[in-house]
Amino acid sequence: MRTPSRGLIAALALTPLLAGCFAQSEDGGTDAGAGTNGRLRIALAVPPVQALSPYSNDATVLSKLSVAEGLTALSKDGTAEPALAESWTRKNDTTWTFELRKATFQDGTDVTAESVVNALEKADAAETKPRVLSDVTLTAKAEDADTVTLTTKSADPVLPLRLASPALAILAAKAYAANGTVSPVGAGSGPFEITRLNGKTKATLNRFDGYWGGRAKAAGIDVTWIADGTARANALRGGDVDVAEWIPTAQAKLLGQDTRHEVPSVRTDSLILNTGSSLFTDEALRAAARETVDGSALVDSVFGGYADPAQGLFGPAVSWAADDRVEVTGRAAAATAAQVKTKTKGRTLRLATYTNRTELPEAASVLQQQLEKAGFTVKQDVREYTQMEADLLAGKYDALVFSRVTLLDTGDAVAYLASDYMSDGVYNIAGLKDPAVDKAVKAAASEGDTEERRKKIMRAEAEILRTDAVLPLVHEQAVQGIATDVEGVILDPLERSLVDLDTRLK
Amino acid sequence: MTVTHSNAPARPFRWRAGAGRVLAGAALLTAVGVLPWLSGADPALTVLRARSADQDPTPEQLVAVREQLGLDEGPVAHLVRWLGGDAGASWVSGEAVLPQVTAALSVSLTLMLGALVVTLLVAALLCARTVFLGSRRRLGRDRAGTAAAVLAALPKFLLASLLATVCGVWWGWFPSSGWEGPQWMVLPSLALGIPSGAMIGGLLGQSLPAAFHEPWAQTAYASGMPPSYTARNALRRTLPGVLPQFLPTVVALVGGAVAVEKIFNIPGLGRLALDAAVAQDLPVLQTSTLALVLLGVAAGVLVRALRHGLLGRPLRDGALPGLHQPELAPRRSLRWVAGACALALLALGTAGLLRDPLHVDTAARLLPPSVAHPLGTDSLGRDLLARLGHGALRTAGVAFAVTAVSAVAGLLLGLVPRASAGLTEVVATLPAVLAGLLVAGVTGPSVWGAAGAVCLVGWTPYAAQTAALLEQERAGGHVAAAVSLGAGRAHLLRRHLLPAVVPALLRNALLRLPTTVLVLASLGFLGLGEQPPTPEWGRLLSENQPYVELAPWTVLGPAGALVVLAVLAVSGSTVLANSASRRTGE
Repeated sequence: MRTPSRGLIAALALTPLLAGCFAQSEDGGTDAGAGTNGRLRIALAVPPVQALSPYSNDATVLSKLSVAEGLTALSKDGTAEPALAESWTRKNDTTWTFELRKATFQDGTDVTAESVVNALEKADAAETKPRVLSDVTLTAKAEDADTVTLTTKSADPVLPLRLASPALAILAAKAYAANGTVSPVGAGSGPFEITRLNGKTKATLNRFDGYWGGRAKAAGIDVTWIADGTARANALRGGDVDVAEWIPTAQAKLLGQDTRHEVPSVRTDSLILNTGSSLFTDEALRAAARETVDGSALVDSVFGGYADPAQGLFGPAVSWAADDRVEVTGRAAAATAAQVKTKTKGRTLRLATYTNRTELPEAASVLQQQLEKAGFTVKQDVREYTQMEADLLAGKYDALVFSRVTLLDTGDAVAYLASDYMSDGVYNIAGLKDPAVDKAVKAAASEGDTEERRKKIMRAEAEILRTDAVLPLVHEQAVQGIATDVEGVILDPLERSLVDLDTRLK
Repeated sequence: MTVTHSNAPARPFRWRAGAGRVLAGAALLTAVGVLPWLSGADPALTVLRARSADQDPTPEQLVAVREQLGLDEGPVAHLVRWLGGDAGASWVSGEAVLPQVTAALSVSLTLMLGALVVTLLVAALLCARTVFLGSRRRLGRDRAGTAAAVLAALPKFLLASLLATVCGVWWGWFPSSGWEGPQWMVLPSLALGIPSGAMIGGLLGQSLPAAFHEPWAQTAYASGMPPSYTARNALRRTLPGVLPQFLPTVVALVGGAVAVEKIFNIPGLGRLALDAAVAQDLPVLQTSTLALVLLGVAAGVLVRALRHGLLGRPLRDGALPGLHQPELAPRRSLRWVAGACALALLALGTAGLLRDPLHVDTAARLLPPSVAHPLGTDSLGRDLLARLGHGALRTAGVAFAVTAVSAVAGLLLGLVPRASAGLTEVVATLPAVLAGLLVAGVTGPSVWGAAGAVCLVGWTPYAAQTAALLEQERAGGHVAAAVSLGAGRAHLLRRHLLPAVVPALLRNALLRLPTTVLVLASLGFLGLGEQPPTPEWGRLLSENQPYVELAPWTVLGPAGALVVLAVLAVSGSTVLANSASRRTGE
């Protein structure tokens, strides 16, 4: 027995030596079971990729946890509302002035017109430009201490919406390093201040008492990033966290009725038919697919009830979409199963989807059966998204089960329609080249009046659906897990807010 | 003569093994270094995607990323800079690579040590009975190691899910996620250590009886030495043959425990390397691979030193009698076990083949076992019996083929230990996913890609085992005698060396069979292997994993089938080997 005990002793002797190798947190470790001191414990799903830089995926964390603010914020009904800017006026087509409110950054410096100009210039000069600035050229100028003039190269009717994007958060000067990186630690202007960021695992936020809007009710927030959905649900059920975002549908039923809260999401899952591929150039075949594909079959099965049957490209999370919806007319007649068989000439339909969202591969299997019923021969290709994106953009598949956020960071639907369905769109996986669609989207893009713009967007939606290049399946719902002793958590369809001044432990 | 041939090869061996390690490590790192250029997938696109999921891949953005990362310089410039000692900054986050990798490595090493402790405990428990009886000369029947086969067949990620749910959530004994202190180590160590311990215990349990039947043990017993003396020396005799298995079984967990790291939210090296590989974040991937290579080599050297320390002079002086299996009749029940397992699989196969494995019925979702669906249905209402039955032949066939290829390759490489020792150590700690990425880069998505990738890294346990056993066997007096009697190389190999190696190798391969099934399925996300909805056991397990708690039958069926397959393989081979040896003996 000598050797195993030797190994054992060695292992046991090494363990304390390496005990310093835990995701060290001088406070987190000891008060893990706490929550009594008024601090919220939150499990977020997507670990930081660029140390919470607003120019990356991490931007939403800053707005979710009320760390940083932009000039404006997005209201519930999708319009811009004041944030750091108290008010704004549109001088002419391309010029706007914003009046700032009295506010201070978490490092003690004042929010001034200079700091706003600095922040916006840094965003414009970022090495990968934030998406929200990709189709606009913005110049900022400080008029006096609390007035900023913004000029765009061409008319931009949605500028106030744009400025609400978390990527355009205004941070104190110290956040912007010379080498182009941005660190929001202690540099935001919101009610919570990041005091510590521990790699990709944890962050500590404290209440910022100098917030212009008052004092937050929670003393602070302890954030844990848990990428695995089951692990997130487990953390909530085990009492390790108070709030866990994005509970997977397979786990939702395991949470108590009063801890799971569903939010209609702006994510729409659809079947994209590649109009550039040899199979679906034929509009009768696309129509046949449209006739047979039934997304509502997915709602109660794959999504476990946490989805709404598709009504169009925009679902119930886009509050105005239903009122302005335009009926789709002029669709092609569907080919019968026999016609499909002759038209496909024995070619298989390459159905792609990706593993990143667990529901999609399941949905693909359901759709495969539906499509086979209509006479298609289907072969699936399921991979990790980054493994196949280049192939998708190159149009190597006939159909793709795709989950897409329909209101991008502008909060404006046109950006999505333009990139995904216009003939020069960069994300045009459907390979759609339809002059009527291009015209309709362009018309919506140039409309300044909110009401009219929405109407034109819905007209563009109808034009796109007419082509059968995209078959909407379901509108997803996000399930947020919230312990019963927490109140005031914001259920935001855009997933931009989660915690604010009023969120607290009972 | 023994003395003359003992000291001479020692130095060249060390020198050559060192050169082999450097060569193998360099080859591997170069392969990783050209991965982005090899795969044809534009790193600018994957990096952009990793930074910002909603970003439009406009040409300007891609050019900006490409310029920022210096992608146009090509792989050579990057490799040179990296070799110059500059680990660089992550392409995705822009943060320095070295602190990230060292932090993740220390987490993974701690976890691995926890798993090692559990491994040793489980192995000790599995061998306790053999050691107890053997040291008292009461070892009558051969133990086929069915218990070890059952435990070794348990999928680690399933064990992890189960432990997290039951001990973490239901009972609240241990925290179910995070990595903040020793109590966070318990559950993941168990999930990783139990199957590994079963592997080690199964191998040790097979070779122990031979040690107890050696003349010295009889002498010790006859002269009244205490059983603990015999036990200690029997272990000292058998451990050196098993020690090399710690490298691919336990040390490899540093980089290869991705699934368990995910379930318990542990910021380990496996996840770091996988995320980097998927995003083509080359600096992080290269440095992680280097860390794994260095770890493999260090562990290899340590294992070698331990073995030589245990065997000592006899090995050096060529005075080590070979370990030979005593003629022990297997327990009679073993035939019944093997028969029952074969029958169960046969019934599963035939009953399943008569049903439709692909028919989706969303109304019949997650139904518990019933007359209509004897094993229940999965989340899409597909009949699990049908899916298991249809998958049986393909799964078992591919797993057997991959294991056979790996074992033969390992055997051949193990026969030339001087050339292969370095390569074995370097590849042993390499996660299969990395091999999968390399294969996917070369071939693109393919059905045979998964099998190829697993073969690429799967041979190391067998090579290490062969090399260790051969070294011991060559040091035997009977080999020297055979040589002095004029035996040629072929004769030595056929009559002395292979018979000593093959039974242990076979047991090792059969114990690893279920793991092979799971590893094959784990490469699916790279587009390697059969595409869904083809039923295949590994896929059944992974696609139903989210439903473990809601509908346990969806994973119990496939997991049970895997266990039955493993038990059948191990017990069947024992029964067959026994009847064969009896036939030749008569």
